[in-house]
This record gives sequence, C-alpha cells and structure tokens, in this order.
Amino acid sequence: MKVYTFPSLFRLFYRYRDLAPQLVPLSYIDKPDVKLPYELIGSMAELKDNPFRQRIAEVFSEDGEGNMTLDDFLDMFSVLSEMAPRDLKAYYAFKIYDFNNDDYICKSDLEKTVNKLTRNELTPEEVCLVCDKVIDEADQDNDGKLSVEDFQHMIVRAPDFLSTFHIRI
Amino acid sequence: MSYHYNEAFENPDYHYSETLEIDRSKERNSSFQQNLHDSSLHDDSYDSYEGHSGRGQRNQDYPMAIPMSSMQPGFRYSHSTSRSAVPNTNPYGNPHTNPSFEYEPELAYTSPSTFHAMDGPYVRRSSDMSDGGSFSQRYNRRQADLVYRMPSSLLRLDSNAETYNEDKHKQEKLIKNLASMSSRERIKAIQKTPKTMKEKRDIRNKVLMEKTKKSVSYSTQINCCTQCLYKTALSYRRFKSGLSEYFHLLQLWQKTLKVIGGKFGTSVLSYFVFLKWLLTFNIFSFLVNFSFITIPQLIASGPNNLTFNGLELLTGAGYFKKTVLYYGFYTNSTITKAENNSSYNMQLAYIFTIGIYFIICFFSLVYSMAKSFHKNFINPQTYAGSAAKLLCIWDFNITNEKAVKLKQSNLSTQIKESLSEVTLEVLNLSLKQKIARITVHLVAWVASLGTAAACCAGVYFLSRNNLQLLEGNKSELEKEAATLVLPIVVSLLNLLIPFCFALFGLIEKFQYPRHELYVTVIRNIFLKISIIGILCYYWLNDVATSEEECWESLVGQDIYRLIVIDFIFCLLGSFFGEFVRRIIGTKCCKKLGVPEFDIARNVLDLIYTQTLAWIGIFFAPLMPAMQIISFFIIFYVKKVSLMRNCQPPRKVWRASQMTTLFIFLLFFPSFTGVLSVMGVTIWRRTPSKQCGPFQGLTSVIDAVSGWIHILDSYSSSKWVVWIYRNLIGSVHFFFILTVIVLIITYLYWQIIEGRKIMVRLLHEQIINEGKDKMFLLNKLRALQTSKLDPSKGEQQERSSSLYQPSRQAALQMTASLERPFGRNGRDYYAESSSAGIPEKIGLSPADAEGHQPAISETLALALRARQQAEWEMEDDDDEDFRP
Repeated sequence: MKVYTFPSLFRLFYRYRDLAPQLVPLSYIDKPDVKLPYELIGSMAELKDNPFRQRIAEVFSEDGEGNMTLDDFLDMFSVLSEMAPRDLKAYYAFKIYDFNNDDYICKSDLEKTVNKLTRNELTPEEVCLVCDKVIDEADQDNDGKLSVEDFQHMIVRAPDFLSTFHIRI
Repeated sequence: MSYHYNEAFENPDYHYSETLEIDRSKERNSSFQQNLHDSSLHDDSYDSYEGHSGRGQRNQDYPMAIPMSSMQPGFRYSHSTSRSAVPNTNPYGNPHTNPSFEYEPELAYTSPSTFHAMDGPYVRRSSDMSDGGSFSQRYNRRQADLVYRMPSSLLRLDSNAETYNEDKHKQEKLIKNLASMSSRERIKAIQKTPKTMKEKRDIRNKVLMEKTKKSVSYSTQINCCTQCLYKTALSYRRFKSGLSEYFHLLQLWQKTLKVIGGKFGTSVLSYFVFLKWLLTFNIFSFLVNFSFITIPQLIASGPNNLTFNGLELLTGAGYFKKTVLYYGFYTNSTITKAENNSSYNMQLAYIFTIGIYFIICFFSLVYSMAKSFHKNFINPQTYAGSAAKLLCIWDFNITNEKAVKLKQSNLSTQIKESLSEVTLEVLNLSLKQKIARITVHLVAWVASLGTAAACCAGVYFLSRNNLQLLEGNKSELEKEAATLVLPIVVSLLNLLIPFCFALFGLIEKFQYPRHELYVTVIRNIFLKISIIGILCYYWLNDVATSEEECWESLVGQDIYRLIVIDFIFCLLGSFFGEFVRRIIGTKCCKKLGVPEFDIARNVLDLIYTQTLAWIGIFFAPLMPAMQIISFFIIFYVKKVSLMRNCQPPRKVWRASQMTTLFIFLLFFPSFTGVLSVMGVTIWRRTPSKQCGPFQGLTSVIDAVSGWIHILDSYSSSKWVVWIYRNLIGSVHFFFILTVIVLIITYLYWQIIEGRKIMVRLLHEQIINEGKDKMFLLNKLRALQTSKLDPSKGEQQERSSSLYQPSRQAALQMTASLERPFGRNGRDYYAESSSAGIPEKIGLSPADAEGHQPAISETLALALRARQQAEWEMEDDDDEDFRP
C-alpha cells in the first residue's frame, strides 16, 4: 500500500482516469463506486499485448471478472512495480498462472500457460511433454501439481523473475 | 474453545511459531465438534459482531474503515458462496471435500518445542509476516470448506457466525501483533500481505486505533512535546518519501528505458541500465573532482597562451596541455586569498579528493555487488531448468505487439529445442570423443591466451617505439599524429580479436550455450584487461622513469586518446556492425537476417572504458567529464541503432545473473587493478620535478606524511596524528583487521555449509513426505475396497497419526527456508484436497496418470465415511441440532 508515494499515485490515478474520463470523477472524496470494465483495462498500452492480460485483470479485480475499481488498479500496479517484495510478486504470479482458481497450478493450467506463451505453435504432444517436465521438476511434494510453495521455491531459483514480472508505468 | 485463552496467545514467542497450530486446533473444534454450535455461542458471536461494527462507527476519522468493518461479514459470506460456485465443483455434491482435515487434529498436540528448535529468531519475523498474509484467503476458503460440509442452510449460517468469530479473533491478534511493531516494520508487513487495498487499509486503521488506544491508556496526559515530536516524525517521513519520489522522477531516461524494455525485453534493457549506472559513477566523480580540485585551481591559474587548432580534441595534447584537464597544470602551492587568512592546500586537496572518491567507489561497488548476489541467488547448481524457464520467462515489460509475437515464436522454438535436447543428452560420448573434445577446448584456450599475450607484446613494443619517437626531433604536428597510432591499434585489437574468439566458439562445441557465453566473456575480459595492464606497465615503468618534463600529463594524454579513439570505434562499430549488417541482412543476403544486439560485447566495452577512466582520474582529474559526454552519446547512438537495426536476442539471456557477473568483473579485475596502479603511482613513483601539485617530493604520499608532521606540532589535532600513525600507517592494524575479516568469513562460510546440509535434508524429507502420502493414500484405497463400516473413522484417525511426523518435518522445512508464505502454504497444502480433488475428478479423463483420480475417489469415499461417523457422534451429543 505504501509502494507508491504521492506523485506516482497521481500518475496512476490519471492513467486510470484517462481510460474513461466520463466515468471516473476527478474527486474521490465522497468515495464514488466506480468500476471500469475489463475491456477498458485490457486496452491499456501496458497490457494490451500481454497474453496474460485477462488473467492479470481477473486476479487483481475484486469481482474476479476483470472489472477494476481504482483500488484494484493501484493494487495491480503496486504489485507489478519495482519495489514490491519477491514473495508478493510470486504470490500474484502464481494466481495469474492458476487459471481455474483452485490454488494449484495443475496440468491444465500449465497447458494453458504454454499455449499462451507460444501462441499455439506447439503440437499437443509437445505441450504435454513440457508440462510433465515442469511438474516433474518443480513439484516438491509429489502431488502432481504445483502449490504456492512449490512455485515460490522455484522462483527463488529464477533470479530474473523479479525483473521480468514488472510493468513500468 | 479453550485454546483461545491459553498462554500461547499472550506470549509473543509462542505466537510467532505456533499460531497456525492453534488456529488449526480451533478450526478443528469448530468444524468437527458441532456441538459447539449451540445457542449460547451463537449469541456470543453475535454480540461480538455488534461490538465490532460499533467499533467501526467510532472509527469515523479514518476514511475507509466504516464500510469495511461493517460490511465484513456480508463480504465474507458472499465470498464463500462465490467460492462454492467455482467451476468444476458442484456446490453441494461434495460433502467429502475435506480430506486434509483428518490430519489436522494431531498437530495441535505436537510439542511446540520441536518447532522452536528450528525457528531461529530470523525466521520468526518472516513467519509473522506470513501470518498476516494468509489471513484473509485462508479464512475465506476455510469458510467455503465449512459450507461444503454443512448439509443445511441453518448450519451454514451458524458456521458463518462461527468462522466470523474466529476470524475476528484472528484479526485482532494480527492487529495487536502489528501494533507492537515499529512503524517501519509495520508498513513492510502490511505491504507484504497479499490482500486488496481495502483490506490493507482496514487493517492499518485498526492497528493505528489500537496503538492510540494503548497510548491513551498508558499515559493519560499526552503532553504537547510528544505530540510535536510525533508530528515532526510524520512530516519528516512524508518529506522523505516525497523527496525520493522526485529523485525518481529526476532519474534519466525513464521513458526511454521503458520503450526499450517494451520492445526488446529485460535482457537488452540490462545493458542500458548498466550504462546508466556507470554514468552516475562518473557524474559523481566529476562533481567531486570539479568542485574540490578544479575550481580552486581555476581561481589561482593564469591565462593559457597556447593556440587551439582542433586536432587537440582527438589527441588531447597541444592546447589542452596547459588546461585543468591534466595533472601537470595544477599547482603545488597553497591557494590563498590575500585579504582572507584561510588557505587551500592543493596537494592535500588533490590526494584526498581522489582517495576519498576511490574509497566511496570501492564501497558502493562492494555494496551493489553484494546486493546483486543476494538478490539473484547466484547458484548455478540449483538453477531450476525448464520449470522456471517456462513460468518465469514471460517478460511483462514487453508491450510492443511485434515484440510479443517475436518473443512467442522464439519461446516455441526454444521449447522445441529443449525437448529435442532431452533426447540428445542421453547419448553419452565415447572416450575418444571426450578426449577430442577436451583437446579442442585446450587448444582454443591456448590459442586465445596466446593471442592475448601477442597483442600485449605488440602494444608494448609499439608504445616504447612511440615514446622514442616523441623524444626525437620532429615537427609538432607529426608528433601529434604519431601519438594516435597506439590508441588506434589498441582499439582495433579490441574490436577484432573478440571476433576471433567468437570463431573459436564455433569450433568448440559446448554442451550448454551458457558455457559458451561465460567462456567468451572470460576470454574477452582477459584480453582487455591484459592490454590495459601492459599499458599501465609501460606508463609506470617507461614513461615515469623517462626524462620527460611532465610524465603524468603524458600518461593523461595517452588515456585521453585511448578513450576518444575507443569512443569513435564504438560509434563506427554500431554503424558497421549493426547498420551495415542490417542492410546486408535485409537486402543482399536474406539468410543472415536482422542482427541481434550483442549485450556481452557491449557491456565489456563499457567495462574497458570505465577502467581506463578510473586510471585516468589521477593523471587527468577531468576525465570523468569526458566519460560523461561519451556515455551520453553512446546511450543515444546505441538506442537509435537498436531501434532501427536490431531485433531482440533469440537466446535466453539471464539478465540478472549476467548483470551480477558484470558488476563483479567491474570490481575484480577492473577496479582492483586500478587500485593497484594507483598504489604504485602514489607510493612508489617519483612525481615529475617541474610540474603538478607534487613537484619536488620523492613520492606522492610524502605530501600526507609531511602534513601529519606539521599537525604533530598542534596539540588540538593530535588525534589525527594518532589515527594516522597507529591505524592507517601501521602494519599491525591491518594485520589484525585482516585476521578478523578472515575469521568472520570463515564463520559465515561454515554457517552456509551447515545450512546447505540442512536444506538438503529437509528437501529429502519433503520428498519422503510425498512418498508417505502416496503410500497412505494407497493404503486408504485398499481399505476402501472393503465395505464401509462404522470403524472407518478410527482407521482414519490412525492413518492421520501416522502422517503426523512427516507433516511436522514439512513444517520445519517451511520454517527453515524462511519463506514468508510458508505457513500459508501449509494451509494451502491442508486444503489441497478440499479444492483440488473435485477438480481432479472433473478432469480425470484428461489426466494421463491413471492412479490419481482413483486415489482421490478413495479419499472422497473415506471422507464421506468419516463424516458419517462424525455426524452419528453428534447425534448422540446434541439431538436437537441435527438437520
């Protein structure tokens, strides 16, 4: 919550407002209940080409459908900022990859991830092989799917994660 | 519910390590012994709920607190229902979705001391954080589980109240906990919790309220002084954060970096970040040198009567000889303003400025190196292979559509390659092939080292030749042109030899591409550093002992020329290497394609120039200014060339690991080499007799010892003399210091070794635990094949007690790995089956492993049996509660 200080907060607020100037009021003193639909959030320059944009919006929105209040919006960029701690980032990255929201990255989640990463250029067999390999490698407790723990354990050994899970605003 | 009030709650130590166990026991109470859901408890929870919202009313000063706290139960409720609507899980059809509950009760009875042994003080804090972090989801989910289990809506409501009660209690504890922290820690802790902004804000407000309440009760009269103090502290904090933000805005090229990151990803971005980082070093050193050395000299200096003819910009000689650029121009006198008594000792200013600059550089390099190592956990053995590659590879920086597409297709080829590699790696080489491979490597190493040595010899003879040429009688212009030969040759070598090394890389077949990268980097840095080394040898051994009028200025000029020519070559390199290459690649020879940006080569070039600039600081104090200009231009040239000509690198570039390596290279051969050159210059070489601040002394350091000698006569500054004699000038002090540092290093090393063993053991334990689980599940299945009978519950109990030690081990594991979410993870683990198993059943046709769904079915059956048994027990206990 303190990841952003005043000026960048303003910057973020204006980014948010620019998405729909007619919807978002300039003043938040009386706490208006404004939610921007996913179509607007997903059209931001920072997100529009990201293959995971829908997941990002879903994970950070309170209703789970990608419609964001200002708070959700700030949350999103504070987690994706440079200063967010590793574990927080890992937690949300995990949620982003957990497509079916069951708190585990199972094989179907991984398949979806691979397809998004490669634009369906791999054959189903290859995708299956890759997913098996990933689960085999990262699964610490042999339950055939990745828990948050497994994921965080993996992140620790992937130093680039901190710099890549980062959106400059 | 007696657990609520045992001492574990009061004792913070207990609290940190035991919270979860207590939680669990409580949950067990609530979920299994439903006799607790009697009317009195219900009232109780209702009351507390009232109290809670009442508190919310009191909270009006804090903007968001009212809606949140009063809304909370409703919110949680809706959350739980929405969870029950999660795809794949039919809301009520799975009353058996709680396999993990069976294992929990045992945990409550395990001796706390076992955990304490594992939880070092270091761990506690992080577990504490995670405690905060796990609350909301855990309870939401927990509640969802409860909902699944309750057959009727009546029970469900009741369970809501129950969990809410628990929840509130938990939150109070968390708040108490947070309130006891210092404000900074608290902010950090709250920051770490994966919750929405609203919840965080709510927690913070509650914590603040708790704090104020406490302080009111503690000291009834808040005097004006403390309030004042508090206000100043607050405003100071605001000021600081605001200031840091403005500094952030001041940072150069924020936008450019964003664009580059968006188009080329983190790997190329790391080059520009490195460039920027070096630039800040130079800006700092320029400011220091300019303000402490140059400005005083400018005040005292006379007019320059040499003419400027333009060639100086390239050679650095001629007109520049008599400017503040070089050492030779500085005076050795003390600069005094006539009417004022204060004086400025140029000798001391010169040596102290440069000395302090190097000390600061040293510490900042060590600091950034340590930070980088710490952050990136450089440990090649434990590098996760394809898993991390796949899940961490997506670069969220990339925002350009084309770049995204390119990245995706690169990724798919990479994945295909790695899949084919799996089959390739299996084939092992015969002895003959191995020997052949090793010989090729050896030959390549010998060849590359030989090339480097030959280059050094060539440079040395050329430079000696040049020196004789300068001493001979030729026209000024000829002399100046002759001086340019050496830097051009050196730059050519620097440009061409790396290509030779790249050719070696083609012949050598490395198993992993990253080995090839490391080897090339090491060979290149060896070449560059040895060329600089031989030049330093030439400067200190030949130039310094020659009969030149002002050898320091000559060295300064040499370095100036080297830097300028290198800069020009860098520009030409990006023109020919990238622009012309692109033209060829796109127009003539389509097979070549668009060039990639060679990060390693470019970064090594930067390290090379920075080394030169550091050496140059003593001989030409304004060298950083030149470096600033050249870095600025390089930044823009590289940026334009990158945008126009290049494509993102195809290979995986481990940006953070490579950055760490480069910082290390900048420190180890480069900066330490510079320090030793400085040491020799200051302690061992005689400064020139006719020029510079140190003329007439036998060595530069004499200026300091002379000053100490003068200070000795003043009684007020005896301590400076004492420090100099006993600490800085004493061998014993450094000996003791070294011994202490070595001992500490050894201790840390031992600790690390111990931790490594511990990690390995715990890892084994986790794996064993997984096997245990599998084994137990199989057992369960075997049991389930027989008919369900009332004794099932007992069976279950037994198996859970079997399960207990491994669980404990897992807990220790999480504690020792110091992962803040560790405990949270345990809970996930516990809930694993609750959410995961129905999922499994739903997906079972797609599941390749045949035994998984079978297991989960068995588990489900077992659970149902267990539940039935439990309900039967409840029937005995409270008849009226039965649905």
